[in-house]
Amino acid sequence: MLVLHHASKSLTGTFTDVSAVDVEGNSISILIREEPPQLDSSRATDAVSGMVLGHVMEGLVRMGMDGRLEGAVAEDWEVTPTKATFWLRNDAKWSDGRPVTAADFIFSWKTALKPETGSEYAFLLFAIKNAEAINSGTLPSSALGLSAPDSNTLVIELERPVPFFDKMLVFPTFFPIRADFYAASKGRFGADADQLLYNGPFKITRWVHGSSMTFKRNPHYWNQEQIHLDAIHVPYITSDATASLNFFKDSKISMTGLQAENLTEAMRMGWQIRQHRDGTVFYIDFNFREGRATNNLNLRRAIQAALDMEELVYKVTKLPGYEPGLSLFPGWLMGEKDLLRREYPPTKISPNAGSAQAYLQTALQELGLGEPPPLVLLSGDNPISSVQSEWVQQSLKRTLGISVKIDKQIFKQRLAKMTAGDFDMVLAGWGPDYNDPLTFGDLYASWNKNNRGEYNSPELDGLIDTAQNQLEPAARMRAFGDIQQHLIENAVLLPMYERGVTYVVDPRIKQLKRRVIGPDPDWSRAYIDSGSE
Amino acid sequence: MTAPSLSPEDFHPLQSSVSDQQLGRPSLSYWADAWRRLKENPRAMASLGLIAFLLAFVSIGPYLWQVDPSAQDLDQIGIGPGADRSVTLAAPFQPWLPEQQATTLDDDVLGFTLAMPATTQAVRLVWTMEPGSRYRLYRNLFDPSDTGSFGLPLAELDRSYFEDRLDLHAGTYYYSLVMLDANGAETSSTVTEAVQVTRVISAAEALQRGLIESEGDAQLGMALELAWHPLGTDYLGRDMLARLMYGGQVSLFIGIFAPLAFVLLGVIYGSVAGFLGGATDQAMMRFADFVVALPFLLFMILFKVIFGIGPGESGIWPMLVAMIILLWPAPARLVRGQILQIREEGYVSASRLLGGTTAYVVGRHMLPNTLGVILVTITFQVPSAIFTEAFLSFIGMGVAPPTPSWGAMCNEGIKSMLTRPHELMFPALLISITVLAFNLLGDGLRDALDARMRGAE
Repeated sequence: MLVLHHASKSLTGTFTDVSAVDVEGNSISILIREEPPQLDSSRATDAVSGMVLGHVMEGLVRMGMDGRLEGAVAEDWEVTPTKATFWLRNDAKWSDGRPVTAADFIFSWKTALKPETGSEYAFLLFAIKNAEAINSGTLPSSALGLSAPDSNTLVIELERPVPFFDKMLVFPTFFPIRADFYAASKGRFGADADQLLYNGPFKITRWVHGSSMTFKRNPHYWNQEQIHLDAIHVPYITSDATASLNFFKDSKISMTGLQAENLTEAMRMGWQIRQHRDGTVFYIDFNFREGRATNNLNLRRAIQAALDMEELVYKVTKLPGYEPGLSLFPGWLMGEKDLLRREYPPTKISPNAGSAQAYLQTALQELGLGEPPPLVLLSGDNPISSVQSEWVQQSLKRTLGISVKIDKQIFKQRLAKMTAGDFDMVLAGWGPDYNDPLTFGDLYASWNKNNRGEYNSPELDGLIDTAQNQLEPAARMRAFGDIQQHLIENAVLLPMYERGVTYVVDPRIKQLKRRVIGPDPDWSRAYIDSGSE
Repeated sequence: MTAPSLSPEDFHPLQSSVSDQQLGRPSLSYWADAWRRLKENPRAMASLGLIAFLLAFVSIGPYLWQVDPSAQDLDQIGIGPGADRSVTLAAPFQPWLPEQQATTLDDDVLGFTLAMPATTQAVRLVWTMEPGSRYRLYRNLFDPSDTGSFGLPLAELDRSYFEDRLDLHAGTYYYSLVMLDANGAETSSTVTEAVQVTRVISAAEALQRGLIESEGDAQLGMALELAWHPLGTDYLGRDMLARLMYGGQVSLFIGIFAPLAFVLLGVIYGSVAGFLGGATDQAMMRFADFVVALPFLLFMILFKVIFGIGPGESGIWPMLVAMIILLWPAPARLVRGQILQIREEGYVSASRLLGGTTAYVVGRHMLPNTLGVILVTITFQVPSAIFTEAFLSFIGMGVAPPTPSWGAMCNEGIKSMLTRPHELMFPALLISITVLAFNLLGDGLRDALDARMRGAE
């Protein structure tokens, strides 16, 4: 999913007596950046909705504490090239005590595919037979390749072989919805605490819009011994980093992120600082439309050779956990046996002012220009993007004499301009939707709607086609290696960095899980260790 | 008592004699008198001096301090005034290949050792690797035994070396290595090493920054001084003094030209309305009321669009136009009121009865009596225009990066107010001084130009 540095602000609090950790009540308080727009899993798109849903709902499988896939509602499963079969456990129940059945999954997925639902993540379901045709309205939803031989067995016919199909099921779009409850909510499903039926470890008991939320333990959840907390309070909803830090200092919330400016203070206070690589890659994207100077390969290579991403990360951004970008594929992705990046190390382009100039001169000849064309750099309106875009501006001015105009826009407007092609370069970011290199690998396919620069290369399309349809892991990973090489050689994008998150947690809280795929942060298995302080 | 005796001679007219009227003092014109009274006002004179200084600062300053305000000195990001600038010349940064380089490990718990002298280029650490184990490396600015925490986690590793290049400064860093157990939890096997980091620069970098004449002069270990930034640098290592000078050009340009222009417009409009009076006056003033009701910000955005000013381009001209077009009604009303009042004065009627033409009446009697009000309005509008520019740049409607303006600099500085206060203090101070100076001058001018106080001591 597209990601951004958060900047919007809303600051409220209705809880009168808030404390980060309430040992007697066996509850904790946390802060969320923004309010979920709604909690209908078939329509959820943003990370905060995903985090909340991950605490109150459960899909067929989930990411375990060890980062491996484990059974959730499904006890066992089997994926073959043509179909996937899931056997549901008997004791999985909804928050009203009735069992979770295969029909609930079928209903939910059909709902997500209905054209009138308008789910942005319906494409994740396209691996299921006929799903794409149903989503575009050419087939009725009864044609979907799902069946339930009995209430505890779900059989999925696959459109094409998808080796990582089970891993995709972690995503909220695959969570179950019960048909009778959905119908009874009369179109308000997921809009309020009482307009949702829960099957996860917690349920939402209070949701004051724009202000606060309360999650209480779900007594009908099947895996009670894994759950320790009785309640999770969300007394504040704000994306203001300073407010978050102050709430943490006042022991109002149990976790806060840290900015580069706060690190010295955090060290002085002796806080237990932690770090998490959130899996997101940030990069400079080019516009490949006709008539754009950035369509010229040598101009892109000149920019590639002019920008020193190590300088950006180590001297300008200055946050720990940020890793200078080498490739579109982040370092944590698994290849065949080892990490993908160890199996296929990306070529490192060292910044070199001399070769940058040489590429620029070639580019100017090809473009028939006397001097470097001015370029528009589209960027976010938050502090981090501002600093980075000013650094890019000055670096290109100094090394290549290119004058860059910075176009700061809010996220929605930036997205609209990217879609319209109203830019030369853009600071973009991409976070993974499922745990397979393909979530990054197909980004520059000519058919991908997120390929907003409209890069179109038959060679790359062929490689992506191999990565999508090849079943043999070694051949797939080789395709990803080739995609990576293609992207670097043609300077299709300039990876800037992989983002890290630096944060502090109340030391009494144990088993807080930060993850790349699935709800992050995951408090569902956390417990309070009152002995340590 | 006897009555005085009068003779007929006493009733003859006196011999006419011409004796020149003797003026005891030199003639004092309106301007000379105003200037005299202004000079006697120390606050006004001090503020006049300040304004002269500020104008010189932004106009002559850049010639004296020839530093590019958008050049980024990434070696000295966010330094305050008077920071240490010493640096040692060292070999250029080379990628590290720890596998090929043997280091004698220290005899401590994990064999945690600094592989080579720590510099701002990199801190290279090695340790003994137990097969299959993982390590977490921390960095701290404070001694962990004092604060009770290891500090900043840098990395989690399954190898026996690490190179730290993140934002290194000269000083002491405490690196702690912690061995992790199979579940990723920290074990008691930890070791902390205090590392002294020295600031270095390579010969090529020194040459690029103009610290040495040629690479031939360079000798490793040579002590050099980095570029001097008298007022420190901002969050991208840009020289604060140069940015203040160039930023002031924008702020003072808007601050002086906009009020001059819209007050002039207002004076013409208001005096015409006031002088003509009647239905014309009514119509003109209702139009002025209409303009007052127009929202400034909206028009500012509209003008930006009309001017075809794309993203990333300076919005200074639309700002100027928006101010001129929308802010003239206030001075216009003021002048109209004055003119209406003066029109009815006896001396105006007298002047007209004696045959004074309209031009003479306006030029000799009306304008001098409104000048006080006009000049005072201008000086009071200057600070408000500077504030408007600061505010618009603050919300991103003004100058485009990297062009500085005092308001935009405040906007950037406020983000790091607690850690690097100088980035906010200097531009804020200059805005405050300018506004104060113009306000005091306006105050003094009002006293000096008031015709009714003329000649008063």
